[in-house]
Amino acid sequence: MHKTIAFALVVLTGFSAGALAANQMIYQKGRVFSSESVSIKKGDALTFVNDDSIPHNLMSATKGSEFNLGSQAPGTSTDVTFKEAGDIQVICAIHPRMKMMVKVTD
Amino acid sequence: MPGLFPRRSNLFGTVVVAASLGAVGFASIGLGAVVVGETRRIDLGSKAAPGIDSIKTQYKRPATIPFPKENPYTPEKAALGKKLYFDTRLSVSMAQSCASCHSPGFGWGDGLAVGVGHGMAKLGRHSPTIVNAAWGAIFMWDGRLATLEEQALGPIEAAGEMNMPLDKLMGRLGSINEYKPLFAAAFPGEGMNARTLAKAIATYERTVVSERAPFDAWIEGNEKAISEEAKRGFAVFNGKAMCSACHEGWNFTNDGFQDIGLPSKDIGRGEFVPGVVKMQHAFKTPGLREIERRSPYMHDGSLDTLEAVVEHYDQGGVDRPSRSDLMKPLGLSAQEKADLVAFMKTLTSNLSPTAVPVLPR
Ligand SMILES: [Cu+2]
Repeated sequence: MHKTIAFALVVLTGFSAGALAANQMIYQKGRVFSSESVSIKKGDALTFVNDDSIPHNLMSATKGSEFNLGSQAPGTSTDVTFKEAGDIQVICAIHPRMKMMVKVTD
Repeated sequence: MPGLFPRRSNLFGTVVVAASLGAVGFASIGLGAVVVGETRRIDLGSKAAPGIDSIKTQYKRPATIPFPKENPYTPEKAALGKKLYFDTRLSVSMAQSCASCHSPGFGWGDGLAVGVGHGMAKLGRHSPTIVNAAWGAIFMWDGRLATLEEQALGPIEAAGEMNMPLDKLMGRLGSINEYKPLFAAAFPGEGMNARTLAKAIATYERTVVSERAPFDAWIEGNEKAISEEAKRGFAVFNGKAMCSACHEGWNFTNDGFQDIGLPSKDIGRGEFVPGVVKMQHAFKTPGLREIERRSPYMHDGSLDTLEAVVEHYDQGGVDRPSRSDLMKPLGLSAQEKADLVAFMKTLTSNLSPTAVPVLPR
């Protein structure tokens, strides 16, 4: 617990901006993802940007790596960090044509 | 990115989230294998609204019907599929066919608020049209079926609908002599089975395409094809009323799921994605082609007229957590509402009559 707080302070004061800037960006314009498939290293994050004119609801039902961003308003972005290797299918719950694969490697 | 702390990046990510949680307090964060960070506003720059001509290009009719690689079109398959589609012997009672609920006479629906199944019992939802199903991304109001082939078998087997077990059905069709050569011609070497039955029906359904409507002539440049009222309605549809956010493209749907705030207990898509708030009470956005022939409207058939539908959207529906963020009171004027209805009516073609096929005996 103490360790977590210590790290948090370090992150807040020093490195968080750099870490966020390094994320790969995934865009959602025109009801499609900017990439059908991306590869990232375990522990890295993707930044999901809703640059569309309507809300999207990104989620994954891939076992062990489930997540749900809820309704993501246009003009917002959310970081998602993947901590386990594997192929994770990301979809938009609202728009069934929106599908992409995140390949998380060790 | 692998960078400063490749080995620690795992912990690093967790801490970033923990820190931002503490500082900003965003919800829906889990510390499992996937960690969701904060959601923040970003600057998308100033977007000029696209002009009417650029919007019109998004509604151009496609030149060909898409058929899947796994089930390509052949005339033999489509002809067999048509016979099966209209054959009441596909139901256990021998009284209902696919066409009972998806009839060419009612814009390929049934003209009822909700469908009627086995034993004339009312079903829970409105029978959707099959017009332009070839372009569908997902099937049923709740999206529970992925392909038109699966969809073709669903209502046949469903106890509440045609109530016909597939093995029993194949036995019955096998005893009708004239079906055998038709299956053999459509599926060389494959024979009669539930798979070929589904492929044939799906192939026929893909050939059911809405015909050219006044709207199409306008899109292609004939300014006289639709009224000035309808043109204004098209602008409202794509602008103030935001209808095109869901009813997009030439078939006027992106096959998405939205809770549009109808006061119904049916949770729709929510049954299949229980943890996703926005899918509770969400139903698939129907296309709007042939809309004038397809009343009553909505998944529960609760609205009788296009005027009532426009009124519903103008009010915004029941406000609840699952309601689409696109649903809100619109403040449309009486003129704008009338224009919208006039526009929607231009999407209805003079559907040519469909000949009922002579059935095998
Ligand atoms: Cu979406």
